[in-house]
Amino acid sequence: MFWRLLWKLLRGSGGRLAVAILSLVSCAMVVSALLNLEFDIERKLTQEFRMLGANILVSPSDAQISGSGAAEVMSENEVSAAIAALKEPAVVAASPFLYVVANTEKTPVVVAGTKLEELSKLEPAWKIDGDWKSSRESAASCLVGRNVARQLQLVVGSPLRLTYLNENAQFTVAGIVDAGGAEDNQIFVGLAEAQSLATLPGKISVAQLSVSGTSNSISNYAARLATALPVYEVRPVRQITEAEGDLLSRIRLLIVSMVILILVLTALCVLGTMAALAMERRQDVGLMKALGGSIGRIVTLFMAEVGVLGAAGGFVGAILGVELSRWMGQRVFGTAISSRWEIFPLTIVLMVAVALAGALPLRLLGKVKPAVIFRGE
Amino acid sequence: MATLVRVDDLRKEFGDVRALAGVSFSVDAGEWIAIMGPSGSGKTTLINILGGLDMPTAGQAVVDGVDVARLDEAGLTRFRAQKIGFVFQQFHLVPYLTALENVMLAQYFHSTTDEKEAQHALERVGLGDRVEHLPGALSGGEQQRVAVARALINHPKLILADEPTGNLDEANEETVIQLFKELHQEGHTILMVTHDPSIGNLADRRIEFAHGRLVKVTPSNDASRNAYR
Repeated sequence: MFWRLLWKLLRGSGGRLAVAILSLVSCAMVVSALLNLEFDIERKLTQEFRMLGANILVSPSDAQISGSGAAEVMSENEVSAAIAALKEPAVVAASPFLYVVANTEKTPVVVAGTKLEELSKLEPAWKIDGDWKSSRESAASCLVGRNVARQLQLVVGSPLRLTYLNENAQFTVAGIVDAGGAEDNQIFVGLAEAQSLATLPGKISVAQLSVSGTSNSISNYAARLATALPVYEVRPVRQITEAEGDLLSRIRLLIVSMVILILVLTALCVLGTMAALAMERRQDVGLMKALGGSIGRIVTLFMAEVGVLGAAGGFVGAILGVELSRWMGQRVFGTAISSRWEIFPLTIVLMVAVALAGALPLRLLGKVKPAVIFRGE
Repeated sequence: MATLVRVDDLRKEFGDVRALAGVSFSVDAGEWIAIMGPSGSGKTTLINILGGLDMPTAGQAVVDGVDVARLDEAGLTRFRAQKIGFVFQQFHLVPYLTALENVMLAQYFHSTTDEKEAQHALERVGLGDRVEHLPGALSGGEQQRVAVARALINHPKLILADEPTGNLDEANEETVIQLFKELHQEGHTILMVTHDPSIGNLADRRIEFAHGRLVKVTPSNDASRNAYR
């Protein structure tokens, strides 16, 4: 009979309850979308920050990274072995660089020898005019910074001759790089070609790493790498890691604040509806009490009704919220936010709690006096 | 006959208004008592106190050995569920429950529900074919018969009817009164508030109130009973 009564109560007050369930569904939808975002924001933000390039640098102690020579260099094998030994967190890209100031026919230019196939992963935000593929596959190909290309009047396919001391090498421009920074003034060639040009086989000037994870895990990784490479300097790029951590904290605070605000507003909306419903139900409650219904049993019935509303609103809202979070992910990050199964029970529990909090006026029904109701007061 | 109801110097005041001013009488088990009097004379207040819906200011109202004035909220709830069957002038059916569910609601608050028994109670009041109808789809007489079935379903010691025919047309009034006659013949104890003297004459005794006091007790006889229309 309890469930029969519950069903009839839900059907009997359909119009009034529709307002409450509409607000619960709306609330659940936004809350589940925000919670989904909150759970996934770290991963998404990490991906976004990896677009900004390297977040860890390995360099010779006290070295001038952009110096005019290659006086301070490191062992490529030593650095690569240390990086390979540390498995967690995932290294998105690790590029060794050997910098040499070489001469073209017209002017000196900074030549960066690196693993070109790693460069696209290390700097995914760079714009390349030309063919990445050929630069990866051909040792005689190079990438030229936008400013260098303009100054030397180079286009894709142009030949480029580089000279360093008594060595020289011939390249073909495979792509023009628009990095928006100092890299626009550099020429990127294969590491082996740069080492050969500089007569520094197996040597590198610096290693740049893009490591996934939070700012803490990145700092942690840098510390472990520093332990593995005690003679070199290993440091996280603080501007990036700190900005990432700060932004993450702010976004999380914003999301949690919004969730709390939405829950409170929804509870108030349900409260208004339930206050009106409580007035409507005074007659029914008076009758139920006259028939011998205990306060606990009657209020439990009404609370169960509200609980069912909350659960139903939470369930429907959570489904809609997953879609909303996908849409938000596409709009904000360009990719869908992965939905988490924990969101469903969490949203349902939150909605039941909000509905019960909003149903406080129904507790007043316990004070209804049947004789007073029957007198029409 | 054993005494089922004993009212002793019962008083009830609502602020400055004295609704009952020292009423005393008793009712034997199986008796049908008509409570009569003008509006505001204290009839409904008496019914409410005897039914555990209201508490007296002073005095005793003992029903089946239980002094209603001494019960707490939980005790009153149990008392109403186990000993009293109410029939109201306004029917007071739950509008979103069917006739059958309205009867089962009383069962639910009493103990456990028995759909067959509830259906049988409705058949007994001539509504076997209306069990699935909502109150809004029933006539006034039919609604009052549902209320009678609901009042009887838990086999109460005392049936309290507050102007049960007050909202009915003549034909429906006759049907409902016939029902009360049958209940009386079966041995139910009935206290019925009524304004209609011809209905009052059907009772074993008429107790008349004025200004919160019991002013007259009149036993009915066969001649007065036969005078009902």
